[in-house]
Amino acid sequence: MTLLAPLFLLGVIAVGLPIWLHRLSSENPNREQFSSAMFLEPGEPRRVLAKKVQYLLLLALRVGLLVLLALAFARPALQGAAQALIEDTAQLHVIVMDVSASMQHGDRWERAREAALDVVDAAPSGDLLQVIAVGRGAQALGDPTLDAASVRQSINALEPEYSRTDYGELMSSVDRMLRGIELATIVHVVTDLQQSSMPTRFAELAAQTPLELQIHDVSEAGEANWAVQSIVWQAGGDQVSASLRGFGTQPVSHDAVLELNGARVAELPVIVPPDGTITVTFPAPELRAGANRLEVFLDPGDDLAADDRRFMVVKRPEPRSVLLVSADPRGRDSLFLTAALEAVSGPLTTVEPVAPAAISERNLREYAFVVAADAGVLGAAETEDLREYVAGGGALFLALGQRSGGLSIVPVTGHEYSATTQIGARSDGFTIVGAMDSGHPAMAGTEELRMAKFFRFTALTPQDGDQVMAELEQGAPLLIDHALGEGRVVLFASSLDRAWNDLPVLPVFVPLVAGVTAYLSGELTVQTEAQLGTTLSPRAVGLAGGQIFAPDGGAALGIAAAGSGNEVVLDQIGFYEVVGGGLTELVAVNLDPNESDLTPVEPNAVERWLSLNAGSVQGGGAADLELAPSEPTPLWPWVLSLLIVVVFMESWVGNWHLRVRRGIAA
Amino acid sequence: MSERASAAAPNLLSPEVLASLSNLDLVARAAVHGFLNGLHRSPQFGFSQEFAEYRAYSEGDDPRFVDWNVYARTERTYIKRYLGETNTHLVILLDSSASMAYASKKNVTKLQYAKFLAATLAYLAARQHDAVGLIIFDEEVRDHRPPSSRIGRLHAVLHAIDRAEPGTGTDLSVPFERFQQYQKGRGLVCVISDFYCEPEAMLKGVQPLAYQGQDVVLFQVLDPEELEPDLKESALLEDMETGEAMEVSPIFMRSRYRERIQEHLEALAKTAARANADYQLLRTDEPLDSALRNYLTFRQRRG
Repeated sequence: MTLLAPLFLLGVIAVGLPIWLHRLSSENPNREQFSSAMFLEPGEPRRVLAKKVQYLLLLALRVGLLVLLALAFARPALQGAAQALIEDTAQLHVIVMDVSASMQHGDRWERAREAALDVVDAAPSGDLLQVIAVGRGAQALGDPTLDAASVRQSINALEPEYSRTDYGELMSSVDRMLRGIELATIVHVVTDLQQSSMPTRFAELAAQTPLELQIHDVSEAGEANWAVQSIVWQAGGDQVSASLRGFGTQPVSHDAVLELNGARVAELPVIVPPDGTITVTFPAPELRAGANRLEVFLDPGDDLAADDRRFMVVKRPEPRSVLLVSADPRGRDSLFLTAALEAVSGPLTTVEPVAPAAISERNLREYAFVVAADAGVLGAAETEDLREYVAGGGALFLALGQRSGGLSIVPVTGHEYSATTQIGARSDGFTIVGAMDSGHPAMAGTEELRMAKFFRFTALTPQDGDQVMAELEQGAPLLIDHALGEGRVVLFASSLDRAWNDLPVLPVFVPLVAGVTAYLSGELTVQTEAQLGTTLSPRAVGLAGGQIFAPDGGAALGIAAAGSGNEVVLDQIGFYEVVGGGLTELVAVNLDPNESDLTPVEPNAVERWLSLNAGSVQGGGAADLELAPSEPTPLWPWVLSLLIVVVFMESWVGNWHLRVRRGIAA
Repeated sequence: MSERASAAAPNLLSPEVLASLSNLDLVARAAVHGFLNGLHRSPQFGFSQEFAEYRAYSEGDDPRFVDWNVYARTERTYIKRYLGETNTHLVILLDSSASMAYASKKNVTKLQYAKFLAATLAYLAARQHDAVGLIIFDEEVRDHRPPSSRIGRLHAVLHAIDRAEPGTGTDLSVPFERFQQYQKGRGLVCVISDFYCEPEAMLKGVQPLAYQGQDVVLFQVLDPEELEPDLKESALLEDMETGEAMEVSPIFMRSRYRERIQEHLEALAKTAARANADYQLLRTDEPLDSALRNYLTFRQRRG
């Protein structure tokens, strides 16, 4: 027997309480002084004896009640010594369940489950059993065990995934798991034997560990499958084409349906040729701003629903310009910035330089973002205009150049700094970049920033919630990502001309400006499609942090973990939604097209695979085997039942005892 | 004092009120004055301080009793006579055995109640210039104050009563023998006890006194719990005098015991009547009125 919560046994100490109270009571059973015993006579001996018996019975029941209560909380369970039960002739049956997406086809999974259960039933009672699920990876569902019931439970609890299986990886994973086990091992692979799951090199199917391989094929001849293999948004943006394919199919009429953001926008009848491919072209629907959900699916679906639809994220391209605020539009800072901005590829085509006073005349929301070449040129009115613009969802790149020296706080953001700029601490009169947040979306490809020499800079104090993108060797921030309302401000703590640094004339200036530009404009090249089984983080879609919602609506990355850099494993097909900083980005996850091809492995290939793993091992290695503890049989429900009985008995005997004590006739 | 005020005032004779007074002399005064206040509204009890008649002063009379107002008007000396002013004595036999220490909840002990009664009787007698004596006993005589009407005697008696503590067992023959040994004249004898003895044993002690011409009053003091015990559950009851313990059931205490104690009380009353003694049962939760009335009845009979 084992106790799952032995600490509760301390409660047994409470047994001392009724014993002590009963002892006190028995030593002095209501002893009272009375004037005279002249008229008294002792109680009937029978009644006194009955009282004593009831008294002891009551004590025993109360002690038993406390012991049972402590025992119930200690959760006793019966556990057999599994190791001792293994015979020398015992074998290990490893049931490898293929949980790839193709196993969802029709009733393959039910057949697979039955096959696995048959293996369990057929295994001799002294043999060990273990279940391994192979899909995106190999996962052992517990250690080898003699407990067939728990193995059955594991098999019944398994469900196929959306992953793809590679038999080479399957064999190597099983091989790795069985390494060191000196027990005759039979590996039962329960799979649909997809040809597409075969490895490139046949030799990968051979296990290093001697084992006997048995393959339980759950596929059936003549199984057909249709799939949407790909979606292409045609160049020019006026057409959408989808590639549909049939595997082992007959000509059957389908409807190819195009959905945009959940709404059906086009539908075309199509007959996929037998074992062939057909491309369906839809007129491109009108996209809305930002990310759009595009989906093509077959109607009606078939027995493998997972590949009957395919997902794609499309963003509407929008040409936008950048407003460059500078005191001298023909000054060096404007020159360098304009050159760098115009070098940036993408839809950002124009840079519009204006004087600070002209800000109020512009509708700032029409620009992708605003660049202020030197914060010192901004007056109070311009500052207020920019603050309102950023807070409403705008973006600003703000440099603290030579004219900012007379300020004590940064316009728009309000960062505090000393009025004098710092001179570089190095003996040769400059400082360089120290730490960099290479994970920040705007900092991609800016490693050479460390080459830049900074002669002067403004020592800023980051505010709560700021992200320091790069800092100088002294620890002073150089680039700060600051959130303001719905928008963002990237602060550069030095000048954008050559007065305080040599950055504008270094090659890294262009990727830095490109990165900042893309980040602030929201046009950063972000991940919009990902493979099943890979990971996704908010930063991968250009967000500094945020929540990630899975296609089924569940929070894959909760708000508590948002911004911590955590990643989410993509294990569902559909659209993952990344929400953060007031923005929503989408990532489409599709099934591996290889899973759609249900063509079975050639029989001779199966034979060769089996022959590769026809080795035998000697038994007797059970002593060194790490076994799963057999599921303990819980005893606490019995203890609880007994406790209830004792409670009732205690109440009854207690009442009886009190009646006797009070002299009430029974 | 108005009727309403009198009704609102606490009963000065109740054991609880008396127990709150620290001094036994004060207890006696409070009880007697409270009692007399009640008597003034009861015409059938003319007694003691009530004026009876004038008598010409003769040599030997106490000049304190001369009515000087009459002398002023008539130039003759007259002495005021009061009812009840006779030469008699009161001897109180106070039982201080261990059983007298018994008290149930909220009640004073039997000994305390007996002390209140003894002190009150002594004070009442002293007010009438009767000689007051005291015998405190259990198995032996613990204190003996022969009757005397000397000034200061009352205080000595009260002091002796106050000092009485629960002793051991009870032996009624001892105080009666001592009484007979020292007391020859007729008088009033008040025996205050719980009378846990056989009626015949009590008779042996009382009868000689009756033959001697003494008026004997037996005050049996019992706690309500002794008369009507209300035991909630079986208990081990221990005799306060002998230490004998006995486990009794509530059934017995509610039925058989009550019958036994009633039989005992009835036997005591009959035995007292046979000895020509007056018998009165006093409960410790009752005021002293009835006891004092009984005493005065006897006192009048003696007067």
